[in-house]
Amino acid sequence: MASAFLLDMTRCIGCEACVLACKAGNQLPVDTQYIELIEHTSGTFPDLTGGFQNHRCYHCADATCVAVCPTGALFKEDGLTRLDRDACSGCGYCVQSCPYEVPVMSDGRSSKCDGCAANVGAGGSPWCVTTCPAKALEFGVRDAILAKAKERVAAIKDRYPKAQIYGETQAGGLGLILVLPDDPETLDIPADPPDAPAVVDLWKHVVQPVSMGATVLAAAGAGVLGIIARRNHMAELREVEETEKAGVSSGDPDTEDV
Amino acid sequence: MARVKLDITRRQFLATGLAGTALLGTGMGPGRSNLAMRYPDPPWFATGEVVTTYNYCDMCPWRCGIAVQSVDGKVIKIDGNILDPKSRGKLCGRGQAGVSFMNDPDRLQSPMIRTGERGEGKFREVTWEEALDYTAEKILAIKDTYGPEALAIFGHTTGDFWFTDYFAQAWGTPNAAKPSSSLCLSPRDEASKLTFGFPVGGHEPMDWDEMECITLIGSHIGEDSRNTVMQDFVEARARGAQVIVVDPRFSSAAAKADYWLPIKPGTDTALLLAWANVLITENRFDRAYLDEWATGLDELTAHVREFTPEWAAPITDLSAEQIRATARVMSDRSPRAVIMPGRHVVWYGNDTQRMRAEFLVNSLLGVYGRHGGMYFNKSPFLEAYPHPPFAVTGSSGGCSAEPGEESDVLPLGPTGKARADGAREAFLRGPTAMQELIDPMITDDPYRIAGLVVYGVNLLNSIPIPNRTIEALKKLDFVLAVDVLPQEHVAWADVVFPEATYLERYDELSPIAHKTPYIQMREPAVPPMYDTMPGWMMARELGLRVGLDAFFKWETIEEYLDTRLRSVGSNLEKMHDDGGVIIQEGKPYLEDFVADGETPFHTASGKIQLASEDLAGAGFDAIPVYEPTEEPPEGYYRLLYGRVPVHTFAKTQNTPALSAVYPENELWINEDEATALGYVTGDRVWLENDNGDRSGPIAVKATQRIRKDAVFMAHGFGQNAEGLTNANGRGASDTKLMSRYKLDPISGGGGMRVNFVRLVEGG
Amino acid sequence: MTVSDTNGDQQILRYRTRQRVVHAVMASSFLILLVTGLALVWGPLAFLAAGGWSRYLHRIAAVAFMSVPFLYLILDRAGAKEVLVDSFKYDRDDVAWFRHMYRYVLGRTAEMPPQGRLNAGQKLHHSAVIVFSAVIVVTGLILWWLKSGLTPTQLAWTAMIHDLSMVALTLLLVGHVFFTYVYTAWSSMATGYVSKDDMEMEHSKWVEELEHDGAEGSSS
Repeated sequence: MASAFLLDMTRCIGCEACVLACKAGNQLPVDTQYIELIEHTSGTFPDLTGGFQNHRCYHCADATCVAVCPTGALFKEDGLTRLDRDACSGCGYCVQSCPYEVPVMSDGRSSKCDGCAANVGAGGSPWCVTTCPAKALEFGVRDAILAKAKERVAAIKDRYPKAQIYGETQAGGLGLILVLPDDPETLDIPADPPDAPAVVDLWKHVVQPVSMGATVLAAAGAGVLGIIARRNHMAELREVEETEKAGVSSGDPDTEDV
Repeated sequence: MARVKLDITRRQFLATGLAGTALLGTGMGPGRSNLAMRYPDPPWFATGEVVTTYNYCDMCPWRCGIAVQSVDGKVIKIDGNILDPKSRGKLCGRGQAGVSFMNDPDRLQSPMIRTGERGEGKFREVTWEEALDYTAEKILAIKDTYGPEALAIFGHTTGDFWFTDYFAQAWGTPNAAKPSSSLCLSPRDEASKLTFGFPVGGHEPMDWDEMECITLIGSHIGEDSRNTVMQDFVEARARGAQVIVVDPRFSSAAAKADYWLPIKPGTDTALLLAWANVLITENRFDRAYLDEWATGLDELTAHVREFTPEWAAPITDLSAEQIRATARVMSDRSPRAVIMPGRHVVWYGNDTQRMRAEFLVNSLLGVYGRHGGMYFNKSPFLEAYPHPPFAVTGSSGGCSAEPGEESDVLPLGPTGKARADGAREAFLRGPTAMQELIDPMITDDPYRIAGLVVYGVNLLNSIPIPNRTIEALKKLDFVLAVDVLPQEHVAWADVVFPEATYLERYDELSPIAHKTPYIQMREPAVPPMYDTMPGWMMARELGLRVGLDAFFKWETIEEYLDTRLRSVGSNLEKMHDDGGVIIQEGKPYLEDFVADGETPFHTASGKIQLASEDLAGAGFDAIPVYEPTEEPPEGYYRLLYGRVPVHTFAKTQNTPALSAVYPENELWINEDEATALGYVTGDRVWLENDNGDRSGPIAVKATQRIRKDAVFMAHGFGQNAEGLTNANGRGASDTKLMSRYKLDPISGGGGMRVNFVRLVEGG
Repeated sequence: MTVSDTNGDQQILRYRTRQRVVHAVMASSFLILLVTGLALVWGPLAFLAAGGWSRYLHRIAAVAFMSVPFLYLILDRAGAKEVLVDSFKYDRDDVAWFRHMYRYVLGRTAEMPPQGRLNAGQKLHHSAVIVFSAVIVVTGLILWWLKSGLTPTQLAWTAMIHDLSMVALTLLLVGHVFFTYVYTAWSSMATGYVSKDDMEMEHSKWVEELEHDGAEGSSS
């Protein structure tokens, strides 16, 4: 069953507890973080609105990073986008292709939120969710999370007339459902992130397997054929030698007849 | 591919441990599980037995109860203790970085005695035996020559009890001080005592659960990331509570506000008086409440008559409509509408009166003792370990201290000297003012202070006019620095005691005055790293060497703690098994006192003092008036400072995990001003105050989020301590730009928002 | 120049030392690029790329690979020119050779049309290697230096073309190794000398040319 995060940006107060809980719980290197808070401001003094973009993996159902990942290090599981760093070759295609600019290179490999796969798999919650003092974060079955998000939006319409859900449909449906006070652009979040390039499908599902197969077949064929062909060629060579022996000596002074 | 396969024992453990009942014992299933084997690098909780210990966090003074999880003798993860009324299982970013703080490679690792000149930072490593003997010899010499009062003891952080409170009182010095008093809370708590007869208390007694309107004056919740306050604020707001934020800066909290009042700095009292005016003239105050519980309503009514919103508007740079509208929003929800007592309130030197004005508005709204207003907090019952009478009564105050009774007579030390900070002369009352003890160290007036113990205070990045502090450090006979890190002032010490962090030591129990009074414990998760020692052990070892044996009768800290806990029917083992806290019953509301036929207000009249006879008697205004604050000179901006969520004071800037997230502070300046000066975000500038002191370089943050007459930066950066890899030379120091402060003549607070800076090129 | 080996077979110098050096640089850099490239895109080999070091090796090898034409020009200007000119020049015999290529593939040289220094298959091989190498170098340089400026679609196309070029070059390598094995041609790159008998069967026009040149040379 698909899981999802709920991230209520009308609750988030920018304290960065999630950032550090994630770093500590996942034992990330000191210079690595999966979550980053980015302040946004609209308007001019004193007519301002502002908030934070809680920048982290959106866990797209149709994840571009998974599509472009050549090694399968990035993969979908339980509706979330996992990363097996041991399988990562560090090609950086995910870094380049993510519509949300989430993955970064750390220590030569891709680095991003994997939804605390180990922790959740063992019955816990993602570290960020456990600690969030604002209870802006929740984690659960996606359908329930989505329903909750809709309730939240309905409840805050008075205060935020433009309140909306983000992530129900984007990129095939996100595993990070946002409750936003305003249009996503106000937090620099793309309203409609681009799909994975179509060519990636062709590349991964046709070109790569076909190429791999063709190469293996060619090598195998060449191996078999090579043995036959070499035998033929050796026979030809022997023929020539015998012809030479039988016929007039070449007369080459260096040649020593056996 | 790494996929999780569940192991039942492990699952149960994690379900209870991580999601958290926080009731973990110590024995927890098999060391390795399927989980461990399915992962090439198994998650830490699957690599061995997880041991949980209980503690209260030391990453800020707020004291969240925490559950510390260790595997194989290594501390890995800290979570909020779910049974703790402050943390409720949650924890802020700084608390999460406690492990990083402990593992900071820059930590002091061995006791040291100075070999070079003071300030050079040259030391030789010595044994604890030598360091303690040497220190004892030095302070005894001071005592013999000048009396015990000549030793000043400064302390901060959650371990400050042992030196600043216990040792100081046993030794006999009234010159023990904490920055959390006169450089933070004194004006607020003195104003509260003058108005209500008790201090606000370390945990502001806001009855958040039922609150309907919250007003913040300068409090920047979110950037000031006190865990509980963030939880309560967000929850109240989500429930529909209205939020009014008064701040010259569009803070994170202002961005959540229903009303943001971008007030001109220094004019808050005018706004508060105008609010009082609206509440009274529009008859929007709680007359019944005041009739029963307050005195001075008539004087207040007469006093505020002239302070209309129209009067306040040009002063505050707000509109009269805004002022009137917000007063009405509050009164419509009273008594469930509270102006939150701020925390760091030492701003302009008239701070006790400003806080009084805040409390008067709160009183008009009838908040104290009311549901959804403010509750009466109560300290938990807990007996002290038996000790002989102290040589002097402590007056260091601080946000963690038990509220002491204000006495007309200042306590005297063993040789008859009262504290040297000028209390009763330079200022009226309140705890010992740390910044007022610096001058006596230089001038010997009123008497010589010859020795200084600095426990955990970042001396040169906390007290204004650091050059003056350095002058004092040069003149002292003896300086002992007790610290975890080689902070800037440590270079000026004669002896350095490296302390074990809160995760490596037992400590004094932490009694929390609260709606439900409760007690927290601190037990070590791991033994002390390096050649470090817990503060209690240093204080005891030193005490035994200077003839204070009677105060340190206990052989082990466990014995000390068990004895105290016995008074509440517990002991260390039981308290651990109970989840690390002992919770008692409170007495939060007016009706609880009415039922007992008592008054909750401990003023002389037993009522709220709207007009203060104490102040009038001492020659101050009985009801606050607005006094203009000095304006910045042409070309200068008022220097405002505050918090960022991942740092505390000048303490955490070197912590690797926190430094990685926020390595240096930024200078908030209004975008239009920056443009006019030719700066854009990211440009690096130096700051120069009107005294010519400079600090920097600091990155410009050109933003619409701040008024044009002020600049803002996070406090605690711009440190000059070579031993601090991450903190040294990063950003600009607000403290180093404070060439002056304004003494609050009532509370002794040092107002620090009276410094002006301009942007300059080059250092 | 001809010499005789210990068996008395006549040997002809087919590749000078400098040419063999160039070939060695190309072959070794190509193999490194192949393995390190595969490690980047193929899961089972991704462990080789762990920590990212293989990406650096890939770049070092890429520089070596790109330097091959320049190296050839510096070390053996005439040889470089020769291979470039010969590889794109086909004559009637070459066309006929292609018609009978299946025989050659089966190891039978009898009845194959006479061939020059390069047979038609080698010419085709060379020209294909040159073209695909050019493509792979261009796309590789884009992926190296301009990646951050590409849209995801452009990146995917570039990577796909890069990969396809490598597939082509790898298939060419298979053929190359195949013929080397069948026609026991290893020595041409190991020592530079090949059996005159072989050459008379496979490159009779070249042997004639050599003998003619040799005669001319000795007469002049």
